[in-house]
Parts: sequence; structure tokens; C-alpha cells
Amino acid sequence: MNIADIITPAQVDALIQFGITLVIIIAKIVVVLAIGLLHVAYATWFERKVIGHMQVRLGPMRVGYHGLLQPFADGIKLFFKEDIIPAKADKAMFYLAPVIFMAASMVNLSVIPYSRNFVIADINIGLLFIFAFAGIGVYGIFISGWASNSKYAFLGGLRSSAQVISYEIAMGLSLVGVMMMAGSLKISDIVKAQEASVFGMYAIPQFVAFIVFSISALAETNRTPFDMPEAESELVAGYFTEYSSFRFALFFLGEYIAMIIMASIASVCFLGGWTLPWYITNYVPFINYVPGFVWFLMKVYAFIFFYYWIRATVPRYRYDQLMKIGWKILIPVALANIVVTGLIKIIITTLKGA
Amino acid sequence: MTVREIIKRFTFIEIFQGMALTLRKMFSHAVTIQYPKERRPIAPGFRGQHALAKDRSGHAKCVGCGLCVTICPSQCIRVQRDKGQVVGYEIEVLRCIYCGFCVEACPYGAIVLTENYEYSVYKKEDLLLKKDRLLSSWDKYMPGKKGEDYFNKFWRPMSEDFGTPPGQSGYKGKKQ
Repeated sequence: MNIADIITPAQVDALIQFGITLVIIIAKIVVVLAIGLLHVAYATWFERKVIGHMQVRLGPMRVGYHGLLQPFADGIKLFFKEDIIPAKADKAMFYLAPVIFMAASMVNLSVIPYSRNFVIADINIGLLFIFAFAGIGVYGIFISGWASNSKYAFLGGLRSSAQVISYEIAMGLSLVGVMMMAGSLKISDIVKAQEASVFGMYAIPQFVAFIVFSISALAETNRTPFDMPEAESELVAGYFTEYSSFRFALFFLGEYIAMIIMASIASVCFLGGWTLPWYITNYVPFINYVPGFVWFLMKVYAFIFFYYWIRATVPRYRYDQLMKIGWKILIPVALANIVVTGLIKIIITTLKGA
Repeated sequence: MTVREIIKRFTFIEIFQGMALTLRKMFSHAVTIQYPKERRPIAPGFRGQHALAKDRSGHAKCVGCGLCVTICPSQCIRVQRDKGQVVGYEIEVLRCIYCGFCVEACPYGAIVLTENYEYSVYKKEDLLLKKDRLLSSWDKYMPGKKGEDYFNKFWRPMSEDFGTPPGQSGYKGKKQ
């Protein structure tokens, strides 16, 4: 029996091809995860610095130069802390919840195009995928609140799931305008459509949607002024009250990754992702030599800074105010935006046809 | 709802004002003092850790009269005398309220509150200041001229005003 009888040379080639693609994908995943986790670590440092300076303090200063090693010190501390599980908690669910939460937010890193040629999976329903996994993240929050068998955690979980579900509608509707303009759900197509459009970035024609998106992104990631689920003054820490040690770190990671994801969506769908508008590139030609991911990251950082800036400024909303803003203002505004966008699109196409 | 209110609500003008303020504050100088590296200047007349003053020849000024013990509101001073010698002088720092009455009461200017405020220790017993530690902290925190200045400026010792006014007949002290 010969090997050549079982497998043909063409099949061997196909297998080798498959192996190479697999290795490339794994390498991409490793790169994205490593850089993503590093970004999470430094997002916490950046947050503490920005909020500190806005409150006329200094923020972390001791560990390393201007506290640059503080995230690692925090990580090591969390890793070596005692892992406490409440006696009456539902153990299996208690173990599972942070994993669901973190995995649901980490998966989203795979569909975001960081640069023209760098994306792990450029799927054709990219935006829908992100919404779906944002919805699964709610399970993590809710299970953690329920499994902890603590009233604070339970209330936090309830509030969070109600809030995330309501604001997901507003966020989805605000992005519909972008999808209509780009004519695609594929994220890289949206970026390319923006590059080709007159405005260069969709934040200009879709500024209503951009405002709605920014507000609901804050609510979606449970950040101030919508941090009702984690309201320290009311609920200790919200749904992860009973978590300690590395399980808490998983929640923390998930939350910051979700924040980075939201900033990436804003950057990709409204600010033009890795591209710059033509009216900048035409007049400053040497700017084309800068690699695309630099612009992408700068837009992400700017949006994250906006998050922190809001957090340092605005106090927490009351729960009924939160729901009122979501259902009575943001959703109708987003719907009106869809109607207006559709009308203008029809008018433009008929004019072009005539 | 007036037009003004509607405009206010839909333009987020108040939130933007607040954000302008926070952004302005972000570039202002932070008020934090990095404590072990930077220190606040100590206010004149600061009342910190205790010390027993020494005279120029290096002996303790304290004669063990016990006025400080009497006046101390929290009763944290203990003095032991034996045959005219002060053999023990103890201050329980944990009970002291730093009122400075002992300094005011002392007719010989023998006890001071120094500017030292960093004397945290691991054991409670270490905060029962014994005589030799009190004397050594005089050398440490009130060396040379500083001690005298500090005394005359803030704790005008009763030893200077001690005695009867010159016009009045009475004991004027031992003639040398």
C-alpha cells in the first residue's frame, strides 16, 4: 500500500494550503489578542490618568515612570488574590458567567478591520455579528448577577440587562443609516464606501446617527453616565459584587474590550476607519505614507478619550431617566434618521437615473 | 417647556460647558504633593514629636518638678525622681493630644514639641518615649540655633518671665 494511493498530489497541495492559512490565522489571532490585551491594560492606565488630571490630581505615579507599570502591578495583584465564592452561589453558573462575558466581547475583535489588509475574518455580516455578540454578553452579566445569590449583584444584573437590551435597539438603528449609505454590512466595505464618498467619513452626513451611537455606546458598555448596573453608591459594584481575584479581572477585561470594540465601531463606521478623507490626503500628500492602522488607532484612542472625558464630567442618570432617554428620544431620533437617509438616497438615485 | 429649555435640551449645551471645564482643568497643574518625594513646608510652630531640651553643656534641662505631669490633660507624662535626680521621664505618645500645655507649663523650658511628624513604628511599645529617646530627639530635630529660636519664638518659656516684677519687693534670686 502506497501513500500515493490514498491521497493525490492535488490533495496534498490543498492540505498544505490549508495548513498555511491556519497558521496565518492563528498568528493573526495571537497578534490581535496580545495587542488587544495590552490596549486593555493601558486603557485602564490612560483612564486613571485622564480622570485624575481632569480632577486636578495626578493619577498613578509610583509604579514605573508616571505609573506606566501600574496596569501590570494591578494584574499581578488580582491574579494572586484569594478567589472567594459565596457559599450559596450556583457554582457552575458562577464559574461560567465571567467567561461568557469576556468571550462574547473578545470574539468581536475578530471582525474589525484594523488596516486595509489586516482583519482576522472579514465576514459579510460584520456589523450584525457584533450586535449578536453584544447581546450574548448580556447573558454573562445576567448569569453572574443571578448566580451570585446576592441582592446587590442581582439588582445590578437586572438593571444591566434591561439597559443593554434597550440601548442595543438605539445603537442598531443608528447604524442602519450607515449601512444604507454604504449598501453593505461588511465592515471593510463600509470603510471603502466612506473613502469613496464625497464627505470622506460618515460622521458628517450621518451626524445624528453618530450622536445617537455615541450615547448608546456609553450605555451599552455600562459606562458613566449610564453606569447604573455598577452604581457604586447604590449597588456596591453591581453584577460582579461577589467576584474577586481573577474572575473579577475577567469581567474587567471584558468591559474594557467591549469599550475598545465600541470605539472601533465608531471609528470604522463613522470616522472612516484606516482611511483619511480625500480632502486631507489631496492637500497633504505625504500623509499617504503613514500606515492605515495608525489612523484607525488614533480614531479609537480619540473615542476612548471621549469616553473618559464624559466620565469625568457627567454625573449618573437616574434609572427612569435612562430608560426615558433610550426609548423616548434616541430610538425615535434614530428611526427618523433612517427615514430621512432613505428618502435622500431615493432622491439621489432618481436624479442620477434621470 | 419654553423654547430656551428645548434648545438647551437638544443642543446639550450644559454638558458641553461642563466638558469644556473638565478639559481646561486637565491642562492645569495638579495640586497633588508626592509625599515622600515632595513635602509641604512645615508651618512655624508645628507641634510634632516631643523632645527634652538640653542646655549648652549638653545636660537635660529638666529638673523633674512635675508641672507638665500635673497640667497634661490626657495624663500621658510620667516623671520619676530619685534623690534629686530625674531617673525616668516617659511620654505615652498614643495618648498625647499635642496641646502643648507641658511646654507652656515648664518653668525651665525643658520640654519641646519638635517639627518631626514621621515616627510611625511597628510596635506599640516603641511609642512609649523614654528619657534617652526624648533627649536624643532634641539633638536630632532641634540642633543648635534652631532649638533656641524655636523656643523663644513659639514657646516663650516661663523661665524668662519667672520671678517677681523688679519694682516689687521680694525674693530676687540667689546672688552669685
